[in-house]
Amino acid sequence: MNNSILQTRDLAIGYPAGKRLGMSGNRRSGNRAKIVAEGMSLELREGELVCLLGPNGSGKSTLMRTLAGVQKPLGGEVLLSGTRLDRLSARDGARLLSLVLTDKVLTGNLSVYALVALGRYPYTGWAGNLSPRDEAVVRHAIETTGTRMFAHRHLGDLSDGERQKEMIARAIAQDTPVIMLDEPTAHLDLPNRLEIVRLLKMLAREQKKAIVLSTHELDMALQTADRIWLMRPVDAPHGERKSSIVSGIPESLVLDGQLEQAFRRKGFEFDLHSGSFRFRHDAERTIGLVGDGVRAYWTRRALERIGCRVVPGTAVPQHVVVAGENGTGHWQFFDGSTRNPHKLQALSDVLTAVGVSASSGEVVR
Amino acid sequence: MTVRISGAQASDGHAWPLLSPKAGMLFVLLLALLLLFLLDIVLGSVQIPLESVIGILLGRGAEHPAWEKIITAIRLPKATTAVIAGAALSVSGLQMQTLFRNPLAGPSVLGISAGASLGVAVVMLASGGAANAFAIRQLGFGGSWLIVIAATLGAMAVLLIVLGIAVRIRDNVVLLIVGIMVGNITISLISIWQYFSEPEQIQDYLIWTFGSLGGVLGPQLAVLGAVVALGLLVSFSASKSLNVLLLGENYARSLGMSTFFVRVSVIAATSLLAGSVTGFCGPIGFIGIAVPHLTRSMLDTSDHRFLMPSCCLVGGILMLACDIVAQMPGTQTTLPINAVTALIGSPVVIWVIMKQRNLKSSFS
Repeated sequence: MNNSILQTRDLAIGYPAGKRLGMSGNRRSGNRAKIVAEGMSLELREGELVCLLGPNGSGKSTLMRTLAGVQKPLGGEVLLSGTRLDRLSARDGARLLSLVLTDKVLTGNLSVYALVALGRYPYTGWAGNLSPRDEAVVRHAIETTGTRMFAHRHLGDLSDGERQKEMIARAIAQDTPVIMLDEPTAHLDLPNRLEIVRLLKMLAREQKKAIVLSTHELDMALQTADRIWLMRPVDAPHGERKSSIVSGIPESLVLDGQLEQAFRRKGFEFDLHSGSFRFRHDAERTIGLVGDGVRAYWTRRALERIGCRVVPGTAVPQHVVVAGENGTGHWQFFDGSTRNPHKLQALSDVLTAVGVSASSGEVVR
Repeated sequence: MTVRISGAQASDGHAWPLLSPKAGMLFVLLLALLLLFLLDIVLGSVQIPLESVIGILLGRGAEHPAWEKIITAIRLPKATTAVIAGAALSVSGLQMQTLFRNPLAGPSVLGISAGASLGVAVVMLASGGAANAFAIRQLGFGGSWLIVIAATLGAMAVLLIVLGIAVRIRDNVVLLIVGIMVGNITISLISIWQYFSEPEQIQDYLIWTFGSLGGVLGPQLAVLGAVVALGLLVSFSASKSLNVLLLGENYARSLGMSTFFVRVSVIAATSLLAGSVTGFCGPIGFIGIAVPHLTRSMLDTSDHRFLMPSCCLVGGILMLACDIVAQMPGTQTTLPINAVTALIGSPVVIWVIMKQRNLKSSFS
């Protein structure tokens, strides 16, 4: 079953020689073309949620703009619904692909309903009057995002999360098989982020839309994306920075170590078990931990945070035993003597006070 | 996708909003415009009873031939000019504010008024001692045709420069700054010119800058009306695209709009509207900036398909009101219209902003 809606063939993205671009403040000038990434062959299928991941400056926005036809490719081609992007009229393109950008839209007099109705621009006639079908699509888009109660409100009166939902409703009203979103969850709190992602996932599943979103939220991408496009900087000759892109399901990108390579920095480590990056604490001492369950997990987290390497068992001189049931439990700290803190906070204080005792014999400074 | 055609019935207590604002508001505005139009004709330095004015307007003549002359040859053209100028300046201001996403944008910002002023200055100040402005008025054009043409050419020249830059620069904020700078260059050219000119010539020029709605008669009024009508037609046809431009250029492009085409059309329309009015009436300030804000507040909409005609009405109303104040009813004195527009308008705008406080949220 080939239900591919967007493909790239040997696509090269970047900025042409000596050309200035006035888009989103990106101004690059120079005599030579700046190739951000090349040789990209990607495919986007219907009903698929793709997360575009990559560190800052790896070219995510450039790729998004090129795929959306806002920026011209330096080489290769983008096929949208089988047609080369540059052979599509602006209007036909707008009926196939819609964008949700990070651009602030703060037009106070614009009502939510009017905003979503703007999504019908590629379908309405010269005067921009909405047909009954257009109105139905607009209403459906508002209902899909669950924002019907805001329909009367002004855009300026909405919270960031509500406004983002309306921008997505506008894209839904544009009724395109492909929706691209540039960091749709940036600046939102956790419940709003989850709601947005759930909404996008639902659109992909139920309405068979192909959705691409760029994001910096690794956890979320690993949990929800059907596929991940991972851009990562590679060192090219002459000291240039280029990016390469890999496409794959989240889990295999983790197991291949691709994800770790892309984001690797000093002071962080990628935890293969949780699939997230953590501060790498240069362990000052080793502490044994005995216990299991949720309390043991968070005890381990606390120990690691204050700079301990945690090993199971009681083999090392300093060790902690998680004792008792949830709620009634306590901790036992063995350090030659024994202490029984009843709160994790107290355990943490004890450990900080004891510091790196000579008895541990593990001091590495 | 599946679309339920549900109609307007509300399933959960929320009726769907209507996109069109209250039509009653437009009717009230139209009524106010007609009322002020009549008032503007009735009031003046010569007292003419209302019945006679209506009689003259209906073509029944009047007991004094002089009254008929005053009404048809002076007051009627002046009131008509006021409506045309108000509508033209307001609509061009509305478009500028949307295009540049800037509440302070107006026809004067892109250097249009400055360009027109330069044209006028060239004619008035460079003509030398023999051909002063008085002499120009005697040139057989039946009025100040030369000044009008010079002003329009000056406005067009500046706009062509700005347009040339607009083709190269895709960024509207940069374009706005360029427009302001070109305007500054033009103004400094004028002041250099003034520095080397005779006081009488400067006085003629200064009087032009005070602005005047009078003196646009017969063929001039027809030309002004035709040019403004063309400009309004271009403006109205861009309404749909201007709505999308509220979202910013990137969104507009993603919706399939040609930003280049819209920018050219807005600049062309503005040059026609503001250039011609400035040429005939002098650089009338304030209206172009204030009326769009007033209209947005009153109608509480951002839909240009309604804002455009409403701006015409509100612009006409405000211009007529300013003209009524300017002729100081009951006295023989007439104030310069340019001073009155700012004097009346600025407090009104401040009041609207204080009351509604949605000016700031209208623009990011």
